[in-house]
Amino acid sequence: MRTIVVVGLAVLNAAIALLLSPLLEGLMRKLKATIHSRIGPPVTQPYLDLLKLLGKEDLRTGRGFLYAAAPALTLGSVLVLATLVPMGAAPPLSFAGDIIVVLYVAAMSAVLVMLTGFGSASPYASVGSSREMMTLLTVEPVMAVALVVGAVKAGTLSTAGILAWQVEHGPSISMVIAGVAFLLALQAQAGKLPFDIPEADQEIMGGSLIEQSGPRLALFRWAMWAKQLVLAFLLVELFVPWPRVGILPFDLMLALVKVSLVLVVVALVDVVNPRLRIDQAMGYYLRVAFSSLAALAFAVIGM
Amino acid sequence: MTSALLLQTCVLLLLGGALVSLACARNRALAGWVSVAFVAAACVPLARVVVNVFAGVAEGETVLLALPALPARLTVHVDALSAFFLVLTGVIALLSTLFSVRYMEHFEKDTVAKFYPVLLVFFASMVALLVVTDMLFFLVFWELMTLSSFFLVIFERERKDSQRAGLKYFVITHAATLCMIAGTLVLWRQAGSFSFAALQDSLGVLLAERAVVAHLVLFLFFVGFATKAGVLPMGDWLPDAHPAAPSGVSAALSGVLVKLGIYGLIRVFCSFLPVSAASDTWGVVLALAGTVSLFVGTLTALRQTDSKRLMAFHTIGQIGYICLGLGVGVACLRTSPTIAALALLGALFHAANHACFKACLFLGAGAVLHRTGERDMDRLGGLAASMPVTASSTTVAALSISGVPPFNGFTSKWLIVAACILGGLQHPLFLVLGLVGMFISLVTLASFLKVLGAVFMGARDESRSVKEVPLSMALPQVVLAALCVLLGVFPRLPLGVLRDAVASAVRIEVPGADALLGTGFGLGLTAGGLALAFWAPLVVVLALALGGALAYAIQRAGAAKVREVPVWTCGELDSAAAVRYPASSFYLPFKHAFAGIYPALHARVPQFPAALRRAFNVDTWLYRPVVRAVDGLARGVSRSHVGVPQVYLLWIAVGAVVVVAVMLALTR
Repeated sequence: MRTIVVVGLAVLNAAIALLLSPLLEGLMRKLKATIHSRIGPPVTQPYLDLLKLLGKEDLRTGRGFLYAAAPALTLGSVLVLATLVPMGAAPPLSFAGDIIVVLYVAAMSAVLVMLTGFGSASPYASVGSSREMMTLLTVEPVMAVALVVGAVKAGTLSTAGILAWQVEHGPSISMVIAGVAFLLALQAQAGKLPFDIPEADQEIMGGSLIEQSGPRLALFRWAMWAKQLVLAFLLVELFVPWPRVGILPFDLMLALVKVSLVLVVVALVDVVNPRLRIDQAMGYYLRVAFSSLAALAFAVIGM
Repeated sequence: MTSALLLQTCVLLLLGGALVSLACARNRALAGWVSVAFVAAACVPLARVVVNVFAGVAEGETVLLALPALPARLTVHVDALSAFFLVLTGVIALLSTLFSVRYMEHFEKDTVAKFYPVLLVFFASMVALLVVTDMLFFLVFWELMTLSSFFLVIFERERKDSQRAGLKYFVITHAATLCMIAGTLVLWRQAGSFSFAALQDSLGVLLAERAVVAHLVLFLFFVGFATKAGVLPMGDWLPDAHPAAPSGVSAALSGVLVKLGIYGLIRVFCSFLPVSAASDTWGVVLALAGTVSLFVGTLTALRQTDSKRLMAFHTIGQIGYICLGLGVGVACLRTSPTIAALALLGALFHAANHACFKACLFLGAGAVLHRTGERDMDRLGGLAASMPVTASSTTVAALSISGVPPFNGFTSKWLIVAACILGGLQHPLFLVLGLVGMFISLVTLASFLKVLGAVFMGARDESRSVKEVPLSMALPQVVLAALCVLLGVFPRLPLGVLRDAVASAVRIEVPGADALLGTGFGLGLTAGGLALAFWAPLVVVLALALGGALAYAIQRAGAAKVREVPVWTCGELDSAAAVRYPASSFYLPFKHAFAGIYPALHARVPQFPAALRRAFNVDTWLYRPVVRAVDGLARGVSRSHVGVPQVYLLWIAVGAVVVVAVMLALTR
């Protein structure tokens, strides 16, 4: 019985990540167009983009198993991440991975994108991968600190444990600071301005994915959209899980509303900012990481 | 047979192999294969001993030799901790020797008589020092190991950098050994015996009566063993010595030799040191030393473009992780034994994992060096197409060392970081150290993506034809890469064995494997009866496979045609290799941010007064003038010897006339 529930929830989470992420991306595009005083594409445009890409010719510049399997593994790793993250209920595979596993599985898709970039033998892709790595180096510690704050508060590394503790104990100073830090990190994890340095279409023409086309490009795009949705879920569920009634459809709808709000903020920041240089971005996240250590200090003294 | 007899057989086989390979050193291939055969034969009794220990066959100490005057006794006893390190030694010894057979063709001028015999003596000394329980003989074998590895480091003795690396290694490690001898002598004076048990008791007594002396002894042991383990700042010998040795030896040095430093640290700080306030303090010291090592070592590795030097700096970094786990373990022994056991488990598992992936990486770098003659990653690229086996095994090892799930490096790093965070609930310092560990794991990833991107991926140099290495060099790499995957996906079995090793090392009661790691098919760390951290590799791998299959089905849903195309470089016509992204260009802004992290000390030779320097320079005022005078005299004499008979006859005639004239003048 328990197994069926776990599998069902896991499938639900993966389906949400897979099927809803293009819709939210479409909403973000529509919002940006509105601020630009454009009409913009319909909100279903990302679905149409994916469908069209899936039928196009698959041009490859690299060889080898890893290069061939990278798009599928990238999307697959994001689906695994979705099952480790709470969406309206406790994370279905919480018994298989705690917050450390979440952090490392979240990095897996980035690793695969970077390897694809290096493997495609284009200097632009290599520059993009190198920038992606530097972004990861500065953003991941911020997320780590934020999640560890939760672990210190709850006294466990389990995602479900932290969620339960939050629901029971209500907001605290340290978790608020950690949540803000996580939100700031989300901007770069989603690859949005001012931190779209690894793609930087005007400079390096899409970076790591410059040589990707057709279905491979579709999968990489899809994985990025799904990842931003999953990380937004992680943010709202771990740091602002209230109110919680315990009925899955209700909690899920509420979480979806909160996720949409978070992504609206991300889109707003994206639309009003110019791109930073990589060293400026690293300096920015270094400061964020050190500020978020304050949350850790608060958590240690029990606030 | 008893373990003592089996171990003697093992060591004798290794020493016999040394002699036989010395005898047939004229034939390079034969000497190599003979060495492999003897190492393989020696592994059989070794395996038997290890199986006995883990099967729980209890055996007492066996005395092989007694020196009653000191008193010291050559006693042999294998506990689970020794057995674990014996496994590492055996596996890496066999694989690195096998790799070396064809690799040694690389050195055409140097005879293998100075390689295989020394290598086998090196392995024999490591086996011996792991099984003795007497400090005097431990130090003897330790010294033998240091000396034999020194000769392996300076194998290419004509090269200036090998000589320098060897000298540095010799001086630093002997200073460290001196510290250990001093510490041992202090304890021996107290105990009156060199046996481990007696030293252990005397340390306890000393700690109670004269705490300052006890801490001094611990500091001396710490410096001694941490130097060998490569913990910074004492581990400065490592980045020079490891690349200088032939690649098979580099693998053995990084795989096993540095681990023996860890073995020593565990013996001293877990077995000798009583669980007390002192162990809390020394645990924090170990954890801090480990964190400094992993931070500085790994960030310095990121800057390297020489492949083997990069790996050597990563050895410092990974040893830092082991030392961090060890430190957290020792510090928590008194307050929370469960977390201590978890941290020690993580440290030991990381030691095993590091032996697998670092040996594999060094062998991969050696294979590339063998085929291209190149260690500079700026001048390599696109080798994956021509060396697929090396490329795949290096990729697996690189992902393992970077801690990408589900490979083995992730599991042990997860254990260490989880223990840091759970231990951090009592000591907040460990929280920060755990976060540093997580950050550095990303830096490791960056560094190895650079290796993969610059050496194996990217544009191929069409002008150079490169072949895959022969089977005997590819096989060790494949075996090690397979171990990386297996240990990562099925961690329960090795961790169960390691629990016994931890239990035999520490002086407290260690909970059983189920109580520590949960009863499910994954790992669920439990402390105080609650499962607090989870990692089930099989579930995640299964989910990844399912997700990947679904994604692949989507990818192929449109049945898109696949076509191979050249890289588009905006219409420029330069060759792909000319516009390659070189290793030194990776992550430049990030590397600039950490530029001064590994300061280079340039010690200046002291200047003596000019007169003194002249007086000491015997060459200029004694040897050279004498040589010149003798030389000139000889040249003068030789000028008269022209080689024409008539001239000699003339000289005889002239001589006779002169003699007659003198005689006449005298007799008159």
